[in-house]
Amino acid sequence: MGLRSYIITRILLTIPTLLLLLSMVFLIMRVLPGDPVALHFEKKATPEQMESMRRALGLDTPLWTQYIEYLGGLVDIGYILEHGYPNLGKSMQTFEEVGGQIFSAFPATLELAFYSMIIASVIGILLGVISSKSYNSILDHLIRGVGTVTYAVPIFFLGIVFQLIFGVYLRWLPTGLRINPAVDPPATITGLYTIDSLLQGNLFKFFESLKALLLPSLTLGIILSGIFIRMTRTNMLETLRLDFVTAAKARGLKESTVTYGYALRNAFLPILTMMGLQFAILLGGAILTETTFSWPGLGRYIVDRINFRDYTAIQGAVVVFGLFVTLVSLVVDILYAYLDPRIRL
Amino acid sequence: MVILGTIIVSALVIMTAIAPWIAPHDPAKTRVGPIREPPSPQFPMGTTHLGQDMLSRILYGGSIMLQVSALSVLVCFLIGVPLGLFSSYVGGVFDRACSLVIDAVYAFPGLVIAIAISAMLGRGVVNMALSIAVVYIPSYFRVVRSQVLSIKELTYVEAARGIGAKWYTILFRYVFPNVIPSIVVVTTINFADAVLTAAGLTFIGLGVEIHIPDWGRDLTSGWAYLSSGAWWIITFPGVMIILLALGFTLIGEGLSELLNPKLQR
Amino acid sequence: MMEKIELSIVVLVLIGIIVSSGTMYYMTTVVDNLSTLTDDVSTLTESVTNLTSTISDLALIMSEGFQEYAEAIAALTARLAAIEAGLATKETLIVGTTDSVEKTLDPAQAYDYFGWCILQQIGGTLVSVEPGSPKGSDFIPDLAVNWSSNDDLDIWDFNLREGVTFSDGTEFNATHVKYSFDRAIALIPSIPEGAPAGLGYDAIIDRTEVLDTYKVRFHLKMSFSPFLGILASRSSTIVNPQYAPIAQINHTTADPRASTPVAFAGPYVLSKWNRVAGRDVEIKLDANPNYWDLASGYPRMAHVIFRFYSDAATLRLAIEAGDIDMAYRHTSPTDVLDLEDNPNVKVWWGTGAAIQYFCFQTKRAPFNDTRVRVAVTAALNRTAVCDTVFLGLSDPLYSIIPPGMLGHTEAFQKLGDANYTLTTSLLAAAGYDATNKLVFDLWYESSGHYPMSAEQALMYKEALEGSGVITVTLKSADWAGYKQNRDSEIMDAYIYGWYPDYVDPDNYAFLYWAKWIHTNYYNETINGLPNPSYPAYLQQVALYDEARATTNITLREELYAQIDEIAVEQCSVVPLWVGSGWAVTTPPIYGVFLDITQDMRYWLIYK
Repeated sequence: MGLRSYIITRILLTIPTLLLLLSMVFLIMRVLPGDPVALHFEKKATPEQMESMRRALGLDTPLWTQYIEYLGGLVDIGYILEHGYPNLGKSMQTFEEVGGQIFSAFPATLELAFYSMIIASVIGILLGVISSKSYNSILDHLIRGVGTVTYAVPIFFLGIVFQLIFGVYLRWLPTGLRINPAVDPPATITGLYTIDSLLQGNLFKFFESLKALLLPSLTLGIILSGIFIRMTRTNMLETLRLDFVTAAKARGLKESTVTYGYALRNAFLPILTMMGLQFAILLGGAILTETTFSWPGLGRYIVDRINFRDYTAIQGAVVVFGLFVTLVSLVVDILYAYLDPRIRL
Repeated sequence: MVILGTIIVSALVIMTAIAPWIAPHDPAKTRVGPIREPPSPQFPMGTTHLGQDMLSRILYGGSIMLQVSALSVLVCFLIGVPLGLFSSYVGGVFDRACSLVIDAVYAFPGLVIAIAISAMLGRGVVNMALSIAVVYIPSYFRVVRSQVLSIKELTYVEAARGIGAKWYTILFRYVFPNVIPSIVVVTTINFADAVLTAAGLTFIGLGVEIHIPDWGRDLTSGWAYLSSGAWWIITFPGVMIILLALGFTLIGEGLSELLNPKLQR
Repeated sequence: MMEKIELSIVVLVLIGIIVSSGTMYYMTTVVDNLSTLTDDVSTLTESVTNLTSTISDLALIMSEGFQEYAEAIAALTARLAAIEAGLATKETLIVGTTDSVEKTLDPAQAYDYFGWCILQQIGGTLVSVEPGSPKGSDFIPDLAVNWSSNDDLDIWDFNLREGVTFSDGTEFNATHVKYSFDRAIALIPSIPEGAPAGLGYDAIIDRTEVLDTYKVRFHLKMSFSPFLGILASRSSTIVNPQYAPIAQINHTTADPRASTPVAFAGPYVLSKWNRVAGRDVEIKLDANPNYWDLASGYPRMAHVIFRFYSDAATLRLAIEAGDIDMAYRHTSPTDVLDLEDNPNVKVWWGTGAAIQYFCFQTKRAPFNDTRVRVAVTAALNRTAVCDTVFLGLSDPLYSIIPPGMLGHTEAFQKLGDANYTLTTSLLAAAGYDATNKLVFDLWYESSGHYPMSAEQALMYKEALEGSGVITVTLKSADWAGYKQNRDSEIMDAYIYGWYPDYVDPDNYAFLYWAKWIHTNYYNETINGLPNPSYPAYLQQVALYDEARATTNITLREELYAQIDEIAVEQCSVVPLWVGSGWAVTTPPIYGVFLDITQDMRYWLIYK
């Protein structure tokens, strides 16, 4: 199978996965107790009023009609071209376009995920390599201990501890929000504050948003780094035992050249795959991190909206989450296939 | 590692079990002392914002976590393992369909699903356990499936099939025992994850009712009093949750190292 | 007691010893040779040296680039300092809040605290409550200069202020008043969740008549003395027809002018309004250049900027750090008491009007028996809850009408607090005792819709069970589920809260029998049998209607007191506590009024 047909097959395979995810969420939301229509009314409402609201929200049609309409909206190209985001329906509580709400919140999550991933991989790979090089020594055990402990720490607890130390006692870093509220956020280009402020050449805002990013992405990154440490270590240990590494050592190459130049490059492929797989876990962790740090992203949006039984909003957020995870794993798979032709067979 | 993990877990289990005999106060009773009293000889771990004794709450508070994780592991095990065995053994369309569903769940942020299901089912230990179980069934399924696919082709299984053994006999007598080691590892990791997810659900506000002492709840409610300097309300339960999860993780990691001879040298 | 503490410490220490000795054992068995440590350290140093050399190379390459950056930073910092200095002048008030506008700023729908707050800054009403008015019953002219009503209180005339223009320059006249009320009433069927529906505009106002360019008359469907209160509420904000279509609500988008009927006639105009994922991230108000009272110096500040914090703890840190001038709505009780000891900030205390109350489901056992309801009420411990949960920032409430308001009494004092003698004797009469306890579910809301619900519920449970004859099962649901449970009437006892639409006992007294609380107390029959409480309910409604139809304050007070008296005998809905209001500012800030209206009038605030 050539690379192109592999990519096409892989893309086609993501469609049923997404559809399945969507249907599950659609059904789960429908069986949640709590009627979004009744929630509209602070006090009593007549049955006629309830009925008209139901009609306005499109809840009067049979479930499958709603489902088909929802799917239809998702692939409405004209709408996407006009608004810049897919038609995910209108929020059942605020009547705002869910697509607009989600895409205004998504950059925050993306930014957090991106920086956390960087932190996790830097910490994870560095410690993993060091640990594998000094196999079975105190250092190795120490690093593995750190990896194990990070795995066992509730993510929000670490976040709270960081807030307590750096926010409350030392007052160095803000304990929440994407930018110091005393500063106007940078004008939206990509929605990522760090990038927007750089694009506009505003270094002050760049550092402000970086300061706000530091604690949440450090929290998420550290929690995630445990898995990276373990994976890097295992892969490095296997690679370091391979013939070509031994050969390289025998040729008298510098220790560090062998480790970083030969072994790590070879162990990198499985590490890359793992990074793709960790994205789902990363986004799950992002929900708790966002709640801890008042981070106005998609995770907090979901938690907010569940209390309102805002079906469309939650569905939309889940679809976007799912799409994102699927896309990342797709990219990783294609990259892997490109780097390692064996997989295409 | 396994020994250390076992020691931690069993120490915590025993502590929770004997709490009613050693706790100085009723853990739910409010105003047994002044509110937000720092640790003192009378209240060694301080008091909560309602004047409850923190020490008693720590002693009692593990039971919810333990119940939830044990129950969710049980459910996962009872559904994930047979499903994985059956699906991979039968193969064909059924196997493909199962894998597709499982992969869809697996690829998705588990906490989102757990939150949605938890909100749907309402509060309580059983509901929490169920919503966590849904997230972790895929892990069991995948592990079992990958093992079975390789075992299925082994000679002695072929031989059993050859002498006309029934499919369930083959599955449970010949295939299942070979899968057990991997399942044990997944189970212990699942325990740790369940503890953390339960804490996460509580943090989001989907925990148990307030009159039941729970580390997760104390950790969450203590958050609001951090800026007033009341560190003890979150620190002690936080450390306990970490210990519990760490205990399970250690067992899991140790076992997987023992059972995975690839890294023994 | 001490023995138990010691015992538990011993157990904890033992666990500690076991865990740490386990760790030690593990470490010593695994690490056979401690001398490897030195090797490790040397390898580590080597890698670190490698790393530093690489970094220094990189730094060399990038230093040129950095130099450019440094220059840019210097220039920018200077510019930003200038901007910041501009902001920090006496012209701008920065307010930190945890609130957010719920849906819209259209007066025909908006029904949330913060939406109403912004509306008050940008919109005008015919009359206003005088700032600092002790009972909230002193009205001052706003867009109307004077008014009168007939003796039956069902025809009200208003002479309007002349020469007022909306912020877009449109001249204000009587047709706008008529338009605003016609529109509010016309939209009720399609927006039953809006404020005009909630306040019952369609039940009160028959029609609005334009008598002259600057004279308008309201024909009411009933004699209604609190009418001025309703006219002063945010849902009576006069809209500009150009921005407020008759049959359509304006919803939020990024551009405030396109999304709200903003061309009001208030002291401020909305100049920026950004929302992300259904929450406010940026709101800025500028002084309205056409405001009718500019001559008197209002608004005092040219700009008000709102900064949005997502929780009380972060808001507290911000006011302490001096990031904001004012923290309003809301720092937590714990935090505000802490802040009172902080010399760098000032805490303003005000009268509260938000109340909470206990509701009984009277359609089935056990609470279809009035004696049981009274017995449970007598066992409640309001004082303990107010002291422990709210740290004294809430006050026990013994009448559904909060203190400071006309008609407030101490009626429920008669049953006492944690009055177990009364509880046991009444329950004994109803057939419950220590062996056959009264068992019921107490529900609370769990998603933060009300402050500290879970903690309150826990303390009520404790107090009720303290009687020795009651067993309470706590149950909870998030706001969506809670409302659903209320409507399907499955909760035995539950806690609800109320926040005034307009400051008048008329807006409180009806809670005893409000149908949307679903107590079934107001029904003639229950399960086909006559409801024993029904005559009491009829009596209360008659008193309520009589109080509505008079402006005689002594008479009204008397009538509301009688309603309370009956409520104590019936205990359908039982008042629990009333909160108090507070705001935190960094001095010097003046002109903060925290009166019973719960309104924050930002145009009066100055530095």
